[in-house]
Amino acid sequence: MTCFDVELTVNGAPRRGSVEARRTLADFLREDLGLTGTHLGCEHGVCGACTVLVDGEPARSCLMLAVQARGADVRTVEGLAPDGEMNRLQEAMWDSHGFQCGFCTPGFLMQITALLAENPGPTEAEVREALSGNICRCTGYESIVNGVLLAADAAGSDE
Amino acid sequence: MQHIAERYTGASVRRSEDPRILTGSGRYVDDVRLPGMLHAAFVRSPVAHARITRIDVREAAKAPGVVLVLTGEELERSLVPGPGIAAMFSGGAPVPAFTTLATGKVRVVGDPVVLVVAESRYLAEDACELVEVDYEELPAVMTPQAARDPASPAIFEDLGSNVLVRSPVAVFGDVDGAFARADRIVRADLRQHRHQNAPMECRGVVCSFDPESGELTVHSATQGVHIVRTTLSTALGLPPEKVRVLAGDIGGSFGLKLGAYREDVACAAASRQLSRPVRWMEDRLENLTFSGQAREESFEVAAAVTNEGEILGLRVKMTIDTGAYPGMGTMLPELVKTMIPGPYKIGALSFEWTAVVTNKAAYVAYRGPWASETWVRERMVDLIAMELGMEPIQVRLRNVATRETPPRRMVTGRSLAGVTAKESLEAIASTVDLPSFRRLQAGAREHGRYLGLGMATYIEPAPGPLEGKGGGGIMGPEQIRLRLAEDGTVTLFTSQMPHGQSHQTTFAQIAADEFGVPIEQVRVVVGDSDLVPMGFGTGGSRAATMAGGASLHGARALKARVKEIASHLFEAGAEDIELSGGSVAVRGVPASAMSLAELARAARSPGRLPPSLAGDVEVTAAFDGGEGGWSGGSHAAIVEVDVETGQVRVERYVVAEDCGILINPAIVEGQVRGGVAQGIGAVLLERSVYDEETGQYLSSTFMDYVLATACEIPRIEIEHLETVPLDADVNFRGVGEGGMIIAPPTLCNAIEDALSPFGARVLEQHLPPARILELIGAIPAG
Repeated sequence: MTCFDVELTVNGAPRRGSVEARRTLADFLREDLGLTGTHLGCEHGVCGACTVLVDGEPARSCLMLAVQARGADVRTVEGLAPDGEMNRLQEAMWDSHGFQCGFCTPGFLMQITALLAENPGPTEAEVREALSGNICRCTGYESIVNGVLLAADAAGSDE
Repeated sequence: MQHIAERYTGASVRRSEDPRILTGSGRYVDDVRLPGMLHAAFVRSPVAHARITRIDVREAAKAPGVVLVLTGEELERSLVPGPGIAAMFSGGAPVPAFTTLATGKVRVVGDPVVLVVAESRYLAEDACELVEVDYEELPAVMTPQAARDPASPAIFEDLGSNVLVRSPVAVFGDVDGAFARADRIVRADLRQHRHQNAPMECRGVVCSFDPESGELTVHSATQGVHIVRTTLSTALGLPPEKVRVLAGDIGGSFGLKLGAYREDVACAAASRQLSRPVRWMEDRLENLTFSGQAREESFEVAAAVTNEGEILGLRVKMTIDTGAYPGMGTMLPELVKTMIPGPYKIGALSFEWTAVVTNKAAYVAYRGPWASETWVRERMVDLIAMELGMEPIQVRLRNVATRETPPRRMVTGRSLAGVTAKESLEAIASTVDLPSFRRLQAGAREHGRYLGLGMATYIEPAPGPLEGKGGGGIMGPEQIRLRLAEDGTVTLFTSQMPHGQSHQTTFAQIAADEFGVPIEQVRVVVGDSDLVPMGFGTGGSRAATMAGGASLHGARALKARVKEIASHLFEAGAEDIELSGGSVAVRGVPASAMSLAELARAARSPGRLPPSLAGDVEVTAAFDGGEGGWSGGSHAAIVEVDVETGQVRVERYVVAEDCGILINPAIVEGQVRGGVAQGIGAVLLERSVYDEETGQYLSSTFMDYVLATACEIPRIEIEHLETVPLDADVNFRGVGEGGMIIAPPTLCNAIEDALSPFGARVLEQHLPPARILELIGAIPAG
């Protein structure tokens, strides 16, 4: 099958590859770039585990083709703590016992990153609404919501 | 020297799992990459019940990147025939003959028929499209009623019938007397619907056979590495010591990922044939359609009651739809029978059950697999209260066993020692303030708003009082191994296989306290059958008591060993050795202090110690559960039902739970909330639906099998009752399953209460909007 060259930025670094048109962005990230932090939960765009940021916007990497990400700025969970130091959101999730099995975690973290960039001080209702496209089967969501609110609080108190 | 200020046990210590999980550094089975790894995909049956008349794989075998195509008959030549894991969970029921890939017949939509192994998953799936299979369809047997019909075609010819088990009638107490004395008989036919585990990570396996050593290494998403090892070594005819099973992080399971599945066996055989690693990751379609489903049970119940609300006895007939292939469906009814009296003084019970085979996915364990006992009993209590015009909580308080000496027993036998049902019921009643809720409810109804309050109570054998019988139930005692590593780390090897339960944190808390080191100096090793002791793995809410207890006793034994070694090295009495803050010293002689790392190295140095102590500083321990103890609690839900749309909103959810001593409150609360969320989803959203004519599966995506989101699950208020220690040392009890056991009846009771002005009786567990509208008569039933 014909392959296409893809150049893009992933977590701040230029990356390139040669992919079939049908290769999903998720498979490109996981298989070709070795960034296995992004998880595949349903591969039909419902569960949100594969959420990454494409030019700052949350996107389902299972529904997006790698070729569609040409020239884009992609961020994945690996980009949240590039130096191994957890960022404020990750620390807040740790403090809140946010997650259990960890499989949905990357999608939530990226979705929340987008939320807090747009709305640094969300209400609980806004948090729940913003997370309504991400499924967690373990926690019942309360600990995740608490983590978001804690991260937002921590950000607020820094200002 | 590090100072330990306080105990870790009882504190919401941050999880040691989180740094890797929060940074994308977790290692799940789909993240395993091996050199030369190939990818498997399966051709699956598109029909529910059919004879296979022809399979043609020639085009597929020639397709790009394809390395191997195997039909069921070809695969079978490399396998040892036998029921595999099915026999382990059959409860003694007959296990039909079937093959790893379907041969002769397919019995469910999604039944694996042909294995394709290729250089990529994309290419493997391309080739699957080229496999031609002809099917001669048979009538699909889709309901227990159809299965009971002697004219229905036998799904397994060797069984001769689709009725797998018809149990004898078990009688406990004077059932006839109870029904003769009763003022009333309350009857109900209750149905629990089919739903499923749906962990966020599907099943998956990477099998790697090394022809030089003859060893098979398997990376598996599993709840227990040893069961996978046993199943695969048996199926492949390999000596167990030639099979090593590894597991990393597991993306949830809830009972699904037990043992090696048929796909795992096929991939292991393919790897052996090819001498290359073969990986299979289940996709969500396969997962929802075929991996397994649970809970489909129905009950005919009669309760003998007095006008004062005393429950004198129950007559129960249970039917379980086990699906096509053996899972856990024939093991559970006996558990349901034993547990159905719950924490109540019900004095008589007759129980019989029937298990049938249908053309649906196998019945598998799902979080609290026997949960129907609680659902049926707690539903009946509310139906009895409705019949008598009493508050349901009055009926509960009248009938639950109180703590007395000697403790009461369930009519089915087990002691109710330490059960706090009365206390937890009183706690939730007080929290929700029943009288003021009734006023609020009455006022709301005047404005056309329908609020309801439901309560329920349960106990869970996690592990239950053991009364000297020990053994941790059917799964045996829990073994553990601890080693003092050369860097002074206490390394704990456990067969528990956490998949979200945070054992790497909680066992470390227990061991750190008992041994006397900072928690950072304890490492919990899981997921390697070459390293961890033999054991079932994680399931049955056994980790807290059984493995927590083993951690405690193991740490105690390791500490004694360290003191014994130190007494040789220091030439002092063991009773004079002090261990604190990561060092050992002779009491009162601080200058003698030696770090644990130095001690471990000294022990390994030849000649420093007598042979009985020389070498690795290591102990093994086993824990049989000690005195055990029940886990349990009571939940209350307040709902509002919109009678225009049929939508149910959970306005408030209150929990009073008793899992004994808390190891880590935040982790316990996470387990409770997660279980409740699954229970809410089960009642309001989730259902595994089949077309009863064609046998097609209709819930095969997350758009059809709907899981609850952050918008449906409310905050859950939790009160802990840590009331009754039974054991001298180990009073942690399992808490993983309880929320899922009790949330469905709690919610159903609340919804029925909300709909009481309509005279609705809730007889099934699944109450989506359309069913609510039927119950209130807004739309015709059916």
